[in-house]
Amino acid sequence: MSEDLEPQEDLERRLRSALGAVDPGEGFAPRVMARIAAEPVPPPRAARAGAVVSWLAFGLAASGVLAVLLAHEWQVRRLEQGREARRQLIEALKVTDEKLNLAYRVVNTREGAAPPEHSGA
Amino acid sequence: MKVSSSRWRWLLAPLAALAASVALARPPAMLNLPDFDALAAKATESVNISLDPALLGLAAGFLDSSNPEDAAAKELIGGLKGIYVRSYTFGEDFAYPSAQVDLVRKQLTAPGWQRLVEVNSTRDHTHVDIYVSVDRGVANGLAIIASEPREFTIVNIVGSIDLAKLHRLEGKFGIPKLDLPDGKDGKPDK
Amino acid sequence: MSGDGECPRGDLLTQALAGERAAFAALVRRHQRVVYSLALRMLADRHAAEDLAQEVFLQLYRHLSAVSSEAHLAFWLRKVTMHRAIDRLRRTPRYESATLEEAAEAASETAQADPLLERRLRGLVAELPPAARAVVLLRYQEDLDPVEIARTLKMPLNTVKSHLKRSLAQLRERLPKTADALT
Repeated sequence: MSEDLEPQEDLERRLRSALGAVDPGEGFAPRVMARIAAEPVPPPRAARAGAVVSWLAFGLAASGVLAVLLAHEWQVRRLEQGREARRQLIEALKVTDEKLNLAYRVVNTREGAAPPEHSGA
Repeated sequence: MKVSSSRWRWLLAPLAALAASVALARPPAMLNLPDFDALAAKATESVNISLDPALLGLAAGFLDSSNPEDAAAKELIGGLKGIYVRSYTFGEDFAYPSAQVDLVRKQLTAPGWQRLVEVNSTRDHTHVDIYVSVDRGVANGLAIIASEPREFTIVNIVGSIDLAKLHRLEGKFGIPKLDLPDGKDGKPDK
Repeated sequence: MSGDGECPRGDLLTQALAGERAAFAALVRRHQRVVYSLALRMLADRHAAEDLAQEVFLQLYRHLSAVSSEAHLAFWLRKVTMHRAIDRLRRTPRYESATLEEAAEAASETAQADPLLERRLRGLVAELPPAARAVVLLRYQEDLDPVEIARTLKMPLNTVKSHLKRSLAQLRERLPKTADALT
């Protein structure tokens, strides 16, 4: 594996060179500011008017919010589990691919592959 | 004593059958992977994936068909019952004991498993075995054992694999063309 | 202050927070290269990259009070750009060769020792799956270490390392050995 160090460093150097930053040009900032001006975007620090809060309404709202949060929490957890399962699946298929590729490379460098063997069955 | 032993002998057959049925609760193409915790502790990187049917189903629900990578994965896992991967990378050559790898190889000498490919590179000290589990002409499992100087990997795929679909993944995951055995599901289509 | 962002870093953020649009515009100019480049390399489409970059700054304008410092701002911009790009790719993946050509064409401003090879490399990076592409860009365009990448993308560290390792292996596999192979 030590023989791969140089090619690895060379590839990384080339990647850094190839992926250098690209400027969007002079007009980009003005276009952003024009878009900010055109849209009804509230200022960065919106003033808070002195809102009057009813504590009873607050309590009711809080318990409702809690129920929604718990359901949301479960859903978020489920989403996380699903995404993690998907990520693991893709990772597993990539590892499978990588090792099949490894076999393919060795076969094609004329190091030789043993013919298929039939055992059992 | 003779009487005692013959008295209990009638239990032997049902016990053996029970033991066999417990063993058979594990699908035939599913390998019994050793506990690699000690190795994982030594490894610089480790991948440990165990996707049983429930998790595969969950994962499938999160695959986005509009994404080619996800679409390819969805097509492949349709008939699968499990995917198990153990992969460990080490900071120095041959830091893993071959005994543990051999334990897995030994399982692949059991009836039903056929070695598809064995490749060995003396230059790179790399050895890859690819096995297929076949039952009545239908592939129902795949096993790959790859030993490299600083990495060893075991992949066990359980379930009916459409080898033609595996072949069609070429380009998506860079899977090469394999010389696949003829069979109902074995012929790669063009 | 002048309208072209010559104020010290800390002051720009403070003034932008106070509602001074000129200060915000200066912040945009200061950070536009990073945001646009990441968007471009992820989406492989100049128009989409411009659109996404604008949206990122729009979002920044709305949530500027959540940014605590210049360093945090840089982190925030990278994070939001990458997450938006990945979301967009998941909705409308771009694997068409025409847009890959755009990605390959977007040469960086640094000197190119081997322009053909680097062009091919950019094209190959654009072919990586979204998450892997994001990791590679943050590593080799932004020079972040794996821990910072993991934080930016909210990804486990081992996953980041795995993406890096496999992506480099794939790129090495697909890159021609010599520039001759590109002609």
